[in-house]
Amino acid sequence: MNRSHRLLAAAGAAAVMLVPAIAGCASASGSGSAPHKTQLKLYNDKGAWTPFFQQMGSLSKQQIGIGMTPVGYTDENTYQAFIDASFRTDVKPDLFTWTTGGRLQQIVSLGQVASTSALWKQAIAAGNLSPSLEPYYTVNGQQYCVPLNVSYWGMFYNKHVFGKYGLTPPTTWAQFLNVAQTLKSHGVTPFYETSTLFTFVWFEQLLAGSDPTLYNDLSTGKASYTSPGVVSVMKLWQSFINDGYMSNPGVTTDPSVMLQQGQVAMVPDGSWFNTSMTQLKLKAGTDYGFFIIPNVNPSLAQTSLIFESGPLCSLTNAPDPAASTEYMSWWLKQGPQQQWSTSRGDLSANPKVTLSGDADLSAVTSEVRAGKYNLLLRYFEAAPAPVLATALDAFAAFMVHPGTYMSVLQQIQTSAQSYWSTHKAGS
Amino acid sequence: MWSQTLTNPGRRLQQAPGGAARQRRRRRAAPLVGRFRYGYVSPAVLLVAVLLYLPFLWTVYQSFTSYSGLGPMTWTGLANYRTLLHDPYLLSAIRNTLLWVAGTLVLPVALGLLVAVLSYNLPHGGWYRLPFLLPYAMSGTGVAVAWGIILEHGGIANNLLSAIGLPGGGESFLLYAPQNSIAMIIASTWQQLGVNALLFVVGLQSIPREPIEAARLDGASGWTLFRRIIWPLLAPLTTVVVGLALVASLKTFDIVWVMTQGGPGRSSETLAITMYKDTFVADQYGYGSAVAIFLTVVTGIVSWLYLRRQLSSRRAIGA
Repeated sequence: MNRSHRLLAAAGAAAVMLVPAIAGCASASGSGSAPHKTQLKLYNDKGAWTPFFQQMGSLSKQQIGIGMTPVGYTDENTYQAFIDASFRTDVKPDLFTWTTGGRLQQIVSLGQVASTSALWKQAIAAGNLSPSLEPYYTVNGQQYCVPLNVSYWGMFYNKHVFGKYGLTPPTTWAQFLNVAQTLKSHGVTPFYETSTLFTFVWFEQLLAGSDPTLYNDLSTGKASYTSPGVVSVMKLWQSFINDGYMSNPGVTTDPSVMLQQGQVAMVPDGSWFNTSMTQLKLKAGTDYGFFIIPNVNPSLAQTSLIFESGPLCSLTNAPDPAASTEYMSWWLKQGPQQQWSTSRGDLSANPKVTLSGDADLSAVTSEVRAGKYNLLLRYFEAAPAPVLATALDAFAAFMVHPGTYMSVLQQIQTSAQSYWSTHKAGS
Repeated sequence: MWSQTLTNPGRRLQQAPGGAARQRRRRRAAPLVGRFRYGYVSPAVLLVAVLLYLPFLWTVYQSFTSYSGLGPMTWTGLANYRTLLHDPYLLSAIRNTLLWVAGTLVLPVALGLLVAVLSYNLPHGGWYRLPFLLPYAMSGTGVAVAWGIILEHGGIANNLLSAIGLPGGGESFLLYAPQNSIAMIIASTWQQLGVNALLFVVGLQSIPREPIEAARLDGASGWTLFRRIIWPLLAPLTTVVVGLALVASLKTFDIVWVMTQGGPGRSSETLAITMYKDTFVADQYGYGSAVAIFLTVVTGIVSWLYLRRQLSSRRAIGA
């Protein structure tokens, strides 16, 4: 066998291998005129909500003839890596969940996220969306994605434990401290905190209740993490840990279980935490309650309230953009939103939806609509991604070694400086 | 040529110089496998090239860029490597990785050898080794989840220690460094010990009886017999076991990721976790690639140094 024969044989074998691959590429790229899809896949990072998504899929199939199958991830990083990859490959989701803030701006800047300006206009006109949410979905004057959910952050508490010690939900910071002190004196750990993912919660809450302007300035690069206001918040948090008010941050038991069993008396969380409580068959108003955490600084005109809204998005080159848009349009309507809200026991972005059976959350919703609170975007969405990544680890380190608060703040500030050196502060 | 030699080992020696026509006839008569040998091997080569070498070269290129995973990729030269030199988390990751290397060599390898030697001559020794081997059938993630439940604060280990009146009932094994890494090394040992024991048993079975019997006749027994005769004869197998353990410990990922995600506060990160977090959590694909290249170079150098030393020393003694 001479050289040319050998080469020919090698090329032949390689060609045999490559033909299916090339064919695969061709078939993938040749799907421009895809038929109208009647079953969409909704990729999401809320794997625990799969049964609720499935109910919505069945409802949409009945009402508009388009079904939806959820593809739920439970690991945030794996999920984000998948969505990132979908921007560079032909594997595009029909619908996907995301976060507002910097990460939404990031994917919109790639020009692949479908604009939803028309949907927002229709929904606001029909009273299905509140204009107050619109800025969080607006990038360069256009709207992108629609609200999957809306949550307000407050304190869930075990009503049986509160009742046992004659405690009522506090409305001032002094009362709040008194509740914590009373519980501690009876051997009950007052608050939950964790060193995994949600490490920012207490920092966010204490800062928002102390100086909401500083909170916003920090998120937009106009203030330093080592400024006196931030340092005093860390000292306050440190005192909570030193006083034994916090649970062990290394515990990996679900906080809803800890609350149910009275291992902690209170869990600061978004109203979506109701979903976990529902799954444990706990009853709002009987087994647990919810209150808005009072401001640390009593001189503030309004109580600071952290909120988050998770977007439901589609891509301009989704497998069937028209079907995805039709689905999002249906999603915003009152009927579907009532089902979505009732099944999870959580709030809806649609103002017409009422949450029955949860007086605390219903009252908060009414108060928000009446303008009682100063709404602040959750730190997870408000902070730029690289700063958030540093902060999440730094806060976890702080919980383990509370005396290191200054070096922790310096670490985050270094990351923030690096980020804002290439981005316009205030954006 | 290799396949021809294998199918007819004497062929090359039989060939006389010259006689081109005769050579052509022989080639035509060569087995079919010889004619298409490059064709047969090319799919595998192509597969490795496409799935291993190309991504590796891409990672090398990416390590010289700034890239968030989305949007444009900017060439930054050696900037990522300069940052690497001053990264305090990298130092911590190197320290933890070294702890894993030391721990893995001391515990799973040494205990594996101990289990193999102690059970080797026992009647039904295989049954004694079986409990150690079973965890190897579990996935790393499964092992990590199970040990996470055991070691978490208020978990099974805490309750057990309290129940039998030993200290440590209130200990947070996974919260503080370096005990969180040590706890995870113990979990890893639980899984790895059995397979090392099995490999050492295979090594023991391959030792010829004559030198051992001769040593016994000379009065050697117990520790002396092991140290002077069995251990040197086990050297080829030990090289493999230690080499595998060395590489596995340098790229430790799954058990740490599931149990602590490298935390709290990056305190239990290994180099592989640092690489993953910088790339996929902080969206710094360029910097994460630089960490990946650093880890690859370290693993390559350590493996090369170890194997070079081991193989050359055995060559020297004629093994």
